[in-house]
Amino acid sequence: MFWQQFWQQLVNGVTLGSTYALIALGYTMVYGIIQLINFAHGEVYMIGAFTGLIMVTVYKVNFMVAILAAMLVCIPLAILIERVAYRPLRRSTRLAPLISALGVSIFLQTLITLIKGGPNPLAFPQVIQDTVYVLGPVRFSTVQVLILVMASLLMVFLQFTVKYTRIGKAMRATSEDYETASLMGINVNRVVSFTFAVGAALAGAGGVLVGMYFNSIHPFMGVSVGLKSFCAAVVGGIGSIPGAMLGGIFLGIAEVMGVAAGFDTYKEAIAFGFLILVLLFKPTGLLGLPIQRKV
Amino acid sequence: MKKNRYLLVLVALLALALMAAGCGGAKETPKAAGGDTIKIGFLGGLTGGHAHYGIETLKGMQMAVDDINSAGGVNGKKLEIVQGDHGSNSSEAANVTQKLITQKVSAIVGDPTTGITKSAAQICQPAKVVLLSAGAVGPGVVEIGDYIYRDTLLDAVAAPAVTRYLAEDLKWKKVALVTTTGLSYSEGLTSIFKPALAKYGMEIVAEQSIMEKDTNFSAQVTALSQKQFDGVVFTGYYTEGALFMKEMRKQGLNQVMAGGDGLLGKELYELGENAVQGSMVYAGFAVDTQNATGKTKEFIEKYKAKNNNALPDMFPAQGYDAVMLLADAMKAANSSDPTVFKDKLAQTKDWQGVTGTITFDEKREPIKSPVYLQEVKGQAFAVKAVIPITQ
Repeated sequence: MFWQQFWQQLVNGVTLGSTYALIALGYTMVYGIIQLINFAHGEVYMIGAFTGLIMVTVYKVNFMVAILAAMLVCIPLAILIERVAYRPLRRSTRLAPLISALGVSIFLQTLITLIKGGPNPLAFPQVIQDTVYVLGPVRFSTVQVLILVMASLLMVFLQFTVKYTRIGKAMRATSEDYETASLMGINVNRVVSFTFAVGAALAGAGGVLVGMYFNSIHPFMGVSVGLKSFCAAVVGGIGSIPGAMLGGIFLGIAEVMGVAAGFDTYKEAIAFGFLILVLLFKPTGLLGLPIQRKV
Repeated sequence: MKKNRYLLVLVALLALALMAAGCGGAKETPKAAGGDTIKIGFLGGLTGGHAHYGIETLKGMQMAVDDINSAGGVNGKKLEIVQGDHGSNSSEAANVTQKLITQKVSAIVGDPTTGITKSAAQICQPAKVVLLSAGAVGPGVVEIGDYIYRDTLLDAVAAPAVTRYLAEDLKWKKVALVTTTGLSYSEGLTSIFKPALAKYGMEIVAEQSIMEKDTNFSAQVTALSQKQFDGVVFTGYYTEGALFMKEMRKQGLNQVMAGGDGLLGKELYELGENAVQGSMVYAGFAVDTQNATGKTKEFIEKYKAKNNNALPDMFPAQGYDAVMLLADAMKAANSSDPTVFKDKLAQTKDWQGVTGTITFDEKREPIKSPVYLQEVKGQAFAVKAVIPITQ
């Protein structure tokens, strides 16, 4: 009885965690490159979800096209945000772009609320045959598998890009030392734009997948998911791609298990609890490297 | 210089966004002021999460005002509604209530929810303005003071009557109870259901709590899937109700749910689709085309004519009755001064409204009968049972 429930809760947790992981990847990459916590990232995810909804309800496309469309809308959006709200502040104090990010986040929430005509949730139609599979003690659905597979594939793809491609090399160089990289002939602006673009594409895809899984989207859906994904990025080790994935899944499982154990009232606090613990005892996160400072 | 320009644009955009967000407050009607009208405030959400309740209540109020004005008004004066939209935001509700009071309304109809009614009542009572809620069903409302009223069927009597029906007619023996924690309405309803379930011999095999605005209920449903039960008693609102049922179907659970009028909204079947078919919602009013008579029938026809043949649910009916109740009390007192007509309102007895017969008891709580149990059938609520209330 206990174990049956345990395995099922584990499946629930991994699914939820994969959605956090997809969004955490965006936080971790942007932070890795320019040490900015992009608090408007949750809103990019929300806009991705709405794009997906419009695609499947108005244009009646299948879900793969919807995901692609969401990614294509989110990429220029994120690049625009970076150009307008962060780039002009790149040489100011660390606090300025952070506040600017919060401003963009509120702006986007309000904008979508206005366009949509109110914050009440919209139903996401069933776009794929959501078959339920029974495997031993656990049940899982097509959408759950899809979320996990997409998250894993995108992470592998990302890890490969960063490790083995030219632009990946430029990203690593920029994250190492911004000034030197630009002196070495790396177009850091292009690297930063690329980083935002990749993060936004993942968030957009995540928005559509979450819409499909939870069947409901609203203009403020990015707030709590965004904050929790940020926690996931820090818990996993901010700047680390596998860390974001691990942190996301870890927090997803922790949240679901917490609710199952009866701490449902503290559900939102679980992620932040882990954030505090990690910052206290291992500030670099689970997979983060120790910070080395040359003197 | 260039940098500054970007910043300015950003600040301007943000300011615009904030202004747009702040526009949800009370709307001044152009021909306000002057002694020839009696102003009645509407307090509710015309936007936001519970917008359905507010929009529908206001529709009913407007119908009542039109009926009264075309029949010559109240004490020779026309009625006029002053709208106060709080955007389903409880922190905004206090400001909107305050604003309505400064606009010199004689009475406020609203809010359709228990929690916001309670906070608005704290402002209306000292300001000596009558507040008549057309939707608050939970406990602790009229206790706030003698300016506070409501015209709805109380959960305290409706929920036990429905529980008896679940036990005796549907033969439910074991139930799972789901509460939205932090939601005054839901916690209140749960505290009424618990003793009622025990009284009619039903066992609560599992209790789960969820939070408002949650979309992921997988953990709670997995916990329920380990138990045997006949149905779910759900005390929260329709958005969470619909998503909770969807998750139940996903995890292979086939029970239906029963709950209060918090589940009453088209969003329940729009969001819940097949998962909520057969789920039951009780309310103080339902369109019962076979048995409706007199005023109620007239009301339904008028509503249909104005709303593309759509049928009214409890909210427009209660909004309509609320304005009518106030108008009748003002007529009886020959005054629109709340300190005067509130006593006449308190003496309301066997008053015929479109939602049934209303009497205020000595504690100023409305006594109403019957309760309508409705079932989701396709894309609509259909009357399943009309349960009389015996007190």
